[in-house]
Amino acid sequence: MKKYLVSLLLGALALAAVPLSRADTIKVGVLHSLSGTMAISETSLRDSLLFAFDEINKAGGIKVGDKTYMIEPVIVDGASNWPLFAEKAKQLLEEDKVAVVFGCWTSVSRKSVLPVFEKDNGLLFYPVQYEGEELSKDIFYTAEAVNQQATPAVDYLLAQGKKKFYLIGTDYVYPQTTNLILYKYLLLHGISLENIGGGLRKDDSGKVISAGKYTPFGHTDYQQIVAEIKQFAASGDACVINTINGDSNVPFFKEVAAAGLTPADCPVVSFSLAEDELRALPTKDLVGELGCWTYFMSLNTPENKSFLHRWNTWLKTEDHPGVVKEKRAMDSPMVLSYDGVYLWKEAVEKAGTFDVDKVRDTLESGEVSFDGPGGKITVNKNHHATKNVYIGETRANGQFKIVKSFDQVPGEPFLLKGLDEKVAAMNK
Amino acid sequence: MKFVRILVVELLLSWHSCALAAEGTPTHGSNESSVRHELAQAILSQGRQQQTLLTELADSGSKVASDVLNAWTRDGVYLYSAPDGSKIPVLLEEAQDAEGKSRALRVDTGQYLQGPGGKDLRFDQSELTTADTDMRLRSAIQQTLDSLELAAVDPASRWSAAMKLGNSQKPRYIPTLEARLGKEKDRSVRKALREGVALLQLGNTDLQVQITAVRQLEQLKAIGSLDNLRAVLAKPGCPPQLAVATKQAIHSIDEHIRWVNFFGTIFHGLSLGSVLLVVALGLAITFGLMGIINMAHGEMIAVGAYACYVVQNLFGTGFGFSITLPFSFAGRALSFGMHLPGLNATGALYESYFLFALPLSFISAALAGLFIERTVIRFLYRRPLESLLATWGISLVMQQCFRMVFGANNVQVNSPLWLLGHFSVNDVSFGYNRVFVIGFAAVIVVATWLLLTRTPLGLLIRAVMQNRAMASCLGVRTSRINMLTFAFGSGLAGLAGAFLSQIGNVGPSLGQTYIVDSFMTVVLGGVGSIAGTVWSALGIGTSDQVLQQTTGSPVTGKIVVLVAIIVFLQWKPGGLFSTRGRTLD
Repeated sequence: MKKYLVSLLLGALALAAVPLSRADTIKVGVLHSLSGTMAISETSLRDSLLFAFDEINKAGGIKVGDKTYMIEPVIVDGASNWPLFAEKAKQLLEEDKVAVVFGCWTSVSRKSVLPVFEKDNGLLFYPVQYEGEELSKDIFYTAEAVNQQATPAVDYLLAQGKKKFYLIGTDYVYPQTTNLILYKYLLLHGISLENIGGGLRKDDSGKVISAGKYTPFGHTDYQQIVAEIKQFAASGDACVINTINGDSNVPFFKEVAAAGLTPADCPVVSFSLAEDELRALPTKDLVGELGCWTYFMSLNTPENKSFLHRWNTWLKTEDHPGVVKEKRAMDSPMVLSYDGVYLWKEAVEKAGTFDVDKVRDTLESGEVSFDGPGGKITVNKNHHATKNVYIGETRANGQFKIVKSFDQVPGEPFLLKGLDEKVAAMNK
Repeated sequence: MKFVRILVVELLLSWHSCALAAEGTPTHGSNESSVRHELAQAILSQGRQQQTLLTELADSGSKVASDVLNAWTRDGVYLYSAPDGSKIPVLLEEAQDAEGKSRALRVDTGQYLQGPGGKDLRFDQSELTTADTDMRLRSAIQQTLDSLELAAVDPASRWSAAMKLGNSQKPRYIPTLEARLGKEKDRSVRKALREGVALLQLGNTDLQVQITAVRQLEQLKAIGSLDNLRAVLAKPGCPPQLAVATKQAIHSIDEHIRWVNFFGTIFHGLSLGSVLLVVALGLAITFGLMGIINMAHGEMIAVGAYACYVVQNLFGTGFGFSITLPFSFAGRALSFGMHLPGLNATGALYESYFLFALPLSFISAALAGLFIERTVIRFLYRRPLESLLATWGISLVMQQCFRMVFGANNVQVNSPLWLLGHFSVNDVSFGYNRVFVIGFAAVIVVATWLLLTRTPLGLLIRAVMQNRAMASCLGVRTSRINMLTFAFGSGLAGLAGAFLSQIGNVGPSLGQTYIVDSFMTVVLGGVGSIAGTVWSALGIGTSDQVLQQTTGSPVTGKIVVLVAIIVFLQWKPGGLFSTRGRTLD
């Protein structure tokens, strides 16, 4: 009974203390799946966000006018459930009244929260490579657009003398759109139809609506497809563009290795495999295969080294519940989450207010940038970012060796329309 | 049958030729110093002179040259600026001293770089400038390497070098390839060399040479040349004579591809069927014979797969885990863990881990099964629907245990080298892991059949499963038999897991991926019939692959197979081989 009284008293004290501390904290939303199928990937993003918040708070918080604010994260769980994402977004914006939200991994979760943000005039930073063809006034995409990942990779392969491209992916919106863009991009670069493998699907009017071979999530049997790729690659100078997502990559790459398709003859470039995913893959079978991101953990710059050092120190000392401390990798989505926090901080400090409209105007001015671990990142008027793009070869230790970098590529969300026009002009 | 015989003969031939392959490789040594000199010059020179030097090096066939050139393309050649201002190309040794520095090997002499006083100089990578390469130079180096590779010891690299040069569209390689053809003894490499020569001759301006090349390609049934042949046809002003020959060649190569796909699909079907069979055989015993709707079957598979992972780690660096339970007891957080040291094995011993993993995965899954049978299932023999719920609960508990011990992420299980790779016969390629699963399935089916029909234990099992009460009256200790049968079924599932770790993911939800397939196979085959499970597994596997091949889509095939199974079960609810009896308990 006595204990009960004491805790009641403490609770009352805590309540009384709230108005005092509220004066200089600002609430920030974190909206990721912390349970369900996507939890494996998305909890890493929550961790890198927490790291960024702690770092900013430790360095004195955010300075707005002559006041400084500490970041107070409000973490909600989308639970890999897309309608729930929308509900949680609504809760963050309407009940918690957060100044900004960092979150979402899958495109479908982003599409599901988009109307909520537009209705409540919220602000969302989205960090994971995506298919483009979207631009909301309330979302800033620090993510890789297709022209910051897929098309640079194709440019690299074309420069390596590759003449045949096989497209394969998991059957959902990101691979479908990316492959459709790549199909047009390849046609534009003089690759003929029969040298684009995987098959085409046309609608009644004869317009190509889907290019490449697709398997469902969790597919395990890649024998026929790899046999097909092998015949496709028999004439040499071929490569595979892989947008398979999740653990289907394991049976796919085991089959590729068993069929004797080596990276020297027919490299596979994957867009959904970063360092975090490689931890669960048999990397010995993957040595020499390619990846393309705007950040690699192996990046040999002082900024990145210091960043990784700070991250590892933080992992050792932090006390947030549920953060795994061992065997952690750093990868592009995590870094872009981290960059997003700093870009928002920069914009808020420049605007001198947390007001969403003013912060958005500042971000759109094109003058907000941050020297992140992957190099300088600048937000553009089109809500996408200009940043460096790197192409890496997989190593047996699960890291990438960088073989090519493109400096300061501006993100461009709408590629399909422009490509359609160019292809039409070429055919005339 | 004839095909099988051809297969065997071809197999023997290709092995025979492998043994011969080591001969006919040029020997080097005498000219090493001149090669080294040229290499150093090539690295230091530029433009046309560099090209000429590289071409000269290509004819040397020297191992040293290919090593240095390989290092060069990977930024592994460094330039040392000597005190007199000249530059010396060097390679850095892999072994580093305490400061991370290593000795430098001179490219031109093969000796260590020495400072004044004859002391070996040591460098850090950052102290030296890299001998830069650009894309054009790298491709020139690559071509040199290809010519060098034509003389490699390993037939596979010779093969891929021959294919690469054949597709280079540079007729200047014809003499190189032909020269190699004179010495080459390996059948597949010879084929690749002939194909390469013919492909290069396609680009010739002489009509007769072109036609001979087309005929040659037709004769070789060169799948890789289809694109080039089509290009010949598509070229405007293709002479009619050539067009006729090319069309015929394309036709016969297409025909060849059809046969390759036909046999390939049958093989893929057999292997998929074998995977299904291996996965479902344990369930055919626990569900089919014993009548327990065993939803935890998938987790037994996962136990086997994780056992394989643990054995792999024990052969490597060791295995350890620690668990902190999410609740506390009497104010203390509950946590426990263990660490087993590894053997740090390498080479053949490490590669053999899988052989030890197989029996261990059987034993660990069987023990898990034994435990579940004793604690839960033995109370539910007369209540099949409750067994469904109970085993489903067990499966959830087990999945959570896997998460706690091994983490939520998938774990890496590396395939031993002898399961990687493939051999091809007439362009049909047979992956070693797939051949292995077919043999593996055959062995465990035969073993199960022998156990059930040829041993006293098998007799007792059959008696108990057919009529538990009657067997008990006759003095059979039914509870013991139940326990052993369930453990045996679970052990078979564990074996399946060990195999699945070689072709797919190992993670906490591994079992969920296969549980539906397993039930489908057993139900279609006829509950209670092992032979039915065999036929249904092979049937589902083959039809799935055939449909995938014909429809060109991996999903459509699966849907059609599922619909066909549903329709079939409407017509014959008992499955392919329904067990008839007056009573089934």
